[in-house]
Amino acid sequence: MTEREPSSTRTFKSRRNFLRQAALTGAGATLSAVGLASTGLVSSACLSGAWAKDEPPMGTWPTGSSGDSVFIAISVPRTGPYAVQGEDELKGYELAIEHINIGHPLIKAISPKTTKGVLGKQIKHGVADDGAKPNNAVQNISRFISEEKAVLMTGGTSSAVAVALNKLAQREKVLYVVGISGSNDTTGKDCARYSFRECFYGETAANGIGPVLLKIFGKGKKAAYLTPDYTYGHTVQKSMSEYLNKNGGWTTVTNQVSPLGAPDFSSYLLNIANSGADVFLNINWGRDAVLSIQQAKQFGVLDKQKLVVPYQVPFLAREVGGDLMAGVYAATDFWWTLEDKYPLAKMFVTEFEKKYGYKPEWGANACYLQFAFWAHMVEKAGTFYPPAVIKAYESGEKLQSTVGEVWFRPEDHQLVRPVVIVRGKAKSEMKGKEDYWEVTEVLPGGPLMQKPDAFGCKLGAYT
Amino acid sequence: MFNGLVLGALLALISSGLTIIYGTLGVLNLAHGAMFMLGGYAGYVVFQATESFVLAIAGGALFVMAAGLLIERLIIRHFYDRPPEDQILVTFGLAICIVELVRFFFGSLSRSVPPPPWGAGVTNLGFMLYPTYRLAVVAIVAIALGALYFVLYRTRLGMIVRAGIEDAVMVDSLGINVFRVFMVVFGIGAMAAGFAGIVNAPVVSLTPDMGEAILVQTFVVVVIGGVGSFPGAILGGLIAGQIISITSMINPGYAYVMLFAAMTLVLLLRPRGLLGARSRD
Amino acid sequence: MNTSRRLHPRPFLYEALTALGLIAAPFVLPHLGFAPNTVNQILVWGLFGIGFDILFGYTGLLSFGQSAFYGTGGFIAAYLLTQNILSSVMLALLVGTIGAAVVGLGIGVLALRRTGIYFAMITVAIAEMFFFIENSPLSGYTGGENGIPGVPAPRFEIFGMRLEVGTGWSMYWFLAAFYFLGIVLALRIVRSPVGAILSAIRDNPVRAAALGHSVERYKLVAFVIGAVYAGIAGGLLGVLQGFMPPDAFTFETSGQLVMQTVIGGVGTLFGPLLGATVWLFLSDFLQQSVGLGASWKLVLGVVFVLLVVFLRHGLIGGIKDLHRWLRREKAPESQVDDGADGLAAMDRPMPGIVDAAAPDRPRERDEAAGPILTATALTKRYGGLVANSDIDFTVRRGELRGIIGPNGAGKTTFFKMLTCEIHPTSGTIEFEGRDITGRSVTDVCQLGLTKSYQVNQLFSRLTVRQNLTIAALADLRGRFRLDLFRNPAHIPGLQERVEHAMELVDLAGRADTRVSALAYGEKRRLEIGLALATSPVLLLLDEPLAGMSPRERVETVRLLKSISRGRTMIVIDHDMDALFELAQWITVLQEGRILAEGTPDEIKGNSSVREAYLGGVLAP
Repeated sequence: MTEREPSSTRTFKSRRNFLRQAALTGAGATLSAVGLASTGLVSSACLSGAWAKDEPPMGTWPTGSSGDSVFIAISVPRTGPYAVQGEDELKGYELAIEHINIGHPLIKAISPKTTKGVLGKQIKHGVADDGAKPNNAVQNISRFISEEKAVLMTGGTSSAVAVALNKLAQREKVLYVVGISGSNDTTGKDCARYSFRECFYGETAANGIGPVLLKIFGKGKKAAYLTPDYTYGHTVQKSMSEYLNKNGGWTTVTNQVSPLGAPDFSSYLLNIANSGADVFLNINWGRDAVLSIQQAKQFGVLDKQKLVVPYQVPFLAREVGGDLMAGVYAATDFWWTLEDKYPLAKMFVTEFEKKYGYKPEWGANACYLQFAFWAHMVEKAGTFYPPAVIKAYESGEKLQSTVGEVWFRPEDHQLVRPVVIVRGKAKSEMKGKEDYWEVTEVLPGGPLMQKPDAFGCKLGAYT
Repeated sequence: MFNGLVLGALLALISSGLTIIYGTLGVLNLAHGAMFMLGGYAGYVVFQATESFVLAIAGGALFVMAAGLLIERLIIRHFYDRPPEDQILVTFGLAICIVELVRFFFGSLSRSVPPPPWGAGVTNLGFMLYPTYRLAVVAIVAIALGALYFVLYRTRLGMIVRAGIEDAVMVDSLGINVFRVFMVVFGIGAMAAGFAGIVNAPVVSLTPDMGEAILVQTFVVVVIGGVGSFPGAILGGLIAGQIISITSMINPGYAYVMLFAAMTLVLLLRPRGLLGARSRD
Repeated sequence: MNTSRRLHPRPFLYEALTALGLIAAPFVLPHLGFAPNTVNQILVWGLFGIGFDILFGYTGLLSFGQSAFYGTGGFIAAYLLTQNILSSVMLALLVGTIGAAVVGLGIGVLALRRTGIYFAMITVAIAEMFFFIENSPLSGYTGGENGIPGVPAPRFEIFGMRLEVGTGWSMYWFLAAFYFLGIVLALRIVRSPVGAILSAIRDNPVRAAALGHSVERYKLVAFVIGAVYAGIAGGLLGVLQGFMPPDAFTFETSGQLVMQTVIGGVGTLFGPLLGATVWLFLSDFLQQSVGLGASWKLVLGVVFVLLVVFLRHGLIGGIKDLHRWLRREKAPESQVDDGADGLAAMDRPMPGIVDAAAPDRPRERDEAAGPILTATALTKRYGGLVANSDIDFTVRRGELRGIIGPNGAGKTTFFKMLTCEIHPTSGTIEFEGRDITGRSVTDVCQLGLTKSYQVNQLFSRLTVRQNLTIAALADLRGRFRLDLFRNPAHIPGLQERVEHAMELVDLAGRADTRVSALAYGEKRRLEIGLALATSPVLLLLDEPLAGMSPRERVETVRLLKSISRGRTMIVIDHDMDALFELAQWITVLQEGRILAEGTPDEIKGNSSVREAYLGGVLAP
């Protein structure tokens, strides 16, 4: 039979086990507390001892810029629905870094004080794939910040990513220059002191293309919208319909809201086809835009209604193919034929094509400019100290760019820049392989923008 | 509602592939969506080379069938005696590999295959204008399903497959090389998906990620129709198509979520689906 | 023999190692190229995975819907904090976790109605629906695709010092404390009786239920545990990033959790942590160091497939196999689990005196030798087929009844009705004065009626001792008890019950051998032992001699005789010689009806019985 220990021993053993376990848990907890405290103590000791300057250290300053190179953190989608646009943005970034590092004349035209690198330091960078998911972007960038002490971060393509990175930048006290982001909120209610946006957005697109549409189509038209179901989609749709309905007496006969990444738009397009609309405004982006336009053609929507793309998508014409984009009006940030109008644009397009073998889309342009502006601001401030660089941005200084003279609006960190209206060319009109669009107007940005506080922007603290 | 018929037809074809694979092999092929996508791309390549739509369909379908045979022989075969979770996981991993391989070779930029000339344009159905090619899809799918039906119900191979769906062990004991049957079934199932992929290509543009959404919808169809049931896949596909189109008329955003709600309902109330046989638990 | 030592060879070894590892990590890992942020993410995934591993690894329920609870916990906590409803991070985390648990309970009640593939599919649907709800209808609260930014960092006052947890390594200690607590609790749970029962459910849920455990409720417990861990991990994710992302709800998140757990090793509790380490390290490594660009996912996918194909039990399993392989190389004469041992054991004669009489069992005592079981007009119809027709059957207390009949007579169906595995089409069954018609097999077992199966229904991944423990636990604890943190060694009588059962069926020498390594005869004995360990008042044995060699039969008959003392038994078998030797009274079934009843001699001489079987002469 089994040995039976006397009950007293068993209780003693169980009590001993209990004590052992309690001690272990207690040890774990104490060690954690000690660890917490010591890390705090150690880090503050370390920093206050070694870096006695007039400003206290913050974010990755001065550690990130104390060597002979600085690091830029880049998170773009390389897989997923916006991968195509992400790769284009990345090319813009990398071209800019290359140019800054060698002191290319194009950079010098935008940032006159640049010699080689930024304040003499070469730029190194790291790229991570976020698949246009905010969580991945935040994790990627956080890793770069803590590991490489990045002095600048960038990312976007999806406005959700941009908003998340806005918050991260503000928290980590690292400057963030936005890539592509079309939502009003990025410099609206979700704005951040540490974030700067170069590209156009829903409100300026609507106000830019609105009058053009009224001019072309006239008043009192019926509009059908195809809107992707997220903030960018809703803000653009709202801006567009407000403008058109208020100023031109248009009516919105239907607003079809489609989920992001919808595999098939037939239901929505049938509703649009049956709506009796005159104009079909497609706010979808990325692959959704390509697919919905192709299917719109299949359903005969494009034969009866005029297509308008209020916020243009890089590579749209290339991907959609055929003559689908002929006569289609869109508002965009940049198109390479602007090289005829702006000398810097010509330089940019030439350099880009030389390096990558195709003409840049507006994502690449936006990203190139963002890095160029940042280089200029740092040179102007003479330091990498974030509040100083921010103040340089907020000085309202007029900058040179591939779309003429621009400046950052200090109240919401949005670049005041023109909106480019383009019209799609039919195959017969195209003079070259990439001659997809014709620039019809370049509208000054200032009048198109909302009042600085209209969207609830409250910039955060400097430190 | 008519649109639902068209949506459903395609789903029916893809789902029939998934359901016979699951029914016979007991493997839930999470790579099915990837095979759909692969068929689209394979057909695209053939189309670029030959400009013939018919050849593109044949090429796409055959390529995916070959891929399916290869995958079954090399990988899936070793998983029959492993727990079902392992099977799910390996097909899950294979799906990722296939998608990323395609992205590696073709990039993320979408590719299009134009519809054949006889399918281009719009047909006036009287009550609505409808893309001609989508009507053609229904016809093509119907033919394909018919062919599949013929193979399953009128040939010896099909009889063995259906017997295998009911009782694979028994079929094995009867001296029939079950493994060869499994391999063929997997190939046929994959081919169904690949065929659907290239047939559908003129409707959507091809991207590496397009299989993912289809996969989840295919699950829904298979569950509703009944796992392992070929007629169930057809019925389930048609029902799913209707659910999507009817919900779209009311509130388009909810269309795909309604599919999941329907699937959950079926799983709770009648897990073997509408036409499914016994459960495979 | 100290059971507690047997059950956990070195108590608190794992806890101690975990504590050590967590303390050493910030000093070791940076040299391996891990940034603090990465380590923090690994901890969150690891914690998330502990609950999932209990659900999948230990209970066998593969769920692709854990993201629903991860997101729920995270968003509730983030919402409370950013809307200034709560200012304490810890309190918000607690509320979030409770929220996740409640949601888990609700979903579990629905989803667990199904098993296997259907269960997995329901979880997929749930995950997608939750994501949709987060993204659209509730986007006012959840921020839609933007998520909830601005989640504050935790603040504490300890010993008058104010500590704010920042990012980087100070966040690490905060998360490590949670992870440590999570592991300690999880280890407690898997070692508890509930944990043992969950493992049994994974292996053979039917038998677990037949032994008297309320399997549905235990599964629900496992599901809620998974939801709880997911909820707290979600809350911590928000705190870690200062931002609660909507991706927490996506199907990919669930998928990544599953993949990481598989990579690390399912059923190990630490698998998810290891898997997350590998996954995050590789994604980083492949993108940054190797510079693969967009193809990093391809390499990762290939690695994953290779791992699934070659390492059946993940990395931890691979390490264990390696360890075992090395040990075998060093000490070839050390015990090895193979069948040879079992066969040798078969040749040993059965030990003599074992007090096989039923131990004291607190049951309603009806000392009179009246009927213990009465079936009246019991009928079972399957459509047009009548399996059992109008059977009247009574067994007296202490009797050893045999049931024989040609194939297709309906014996097994009859047994199944007695144990309530199936319900009669008409008729009633009374057991110990209670009407048990239509009750569940679990209830009936708890009342004292148990069966041993014709085809072994064992828990094949568990050892003999563990198998018997499962059976004994049902008896000692009832259908369901939520003793998640109890040490089984502290359950009075458990040890004795298990040892006793082992000796009854002569498997004491194989106590810690896995069932999969036993010989057939040993498995049969264990099968009987399982039923015995539930201390049945009435024991049914369905063909206990099935598939045995003549020698094995002799020994099993001897075993049956010894256990029949003080118990009532009904035995079905085809071996009529054995039954005639064993039983005092025989019932003969044919074509679903009782053909004859009587003493063995009477039955031997009964001509209609002879005809029914052979159409001729019964060999004496």
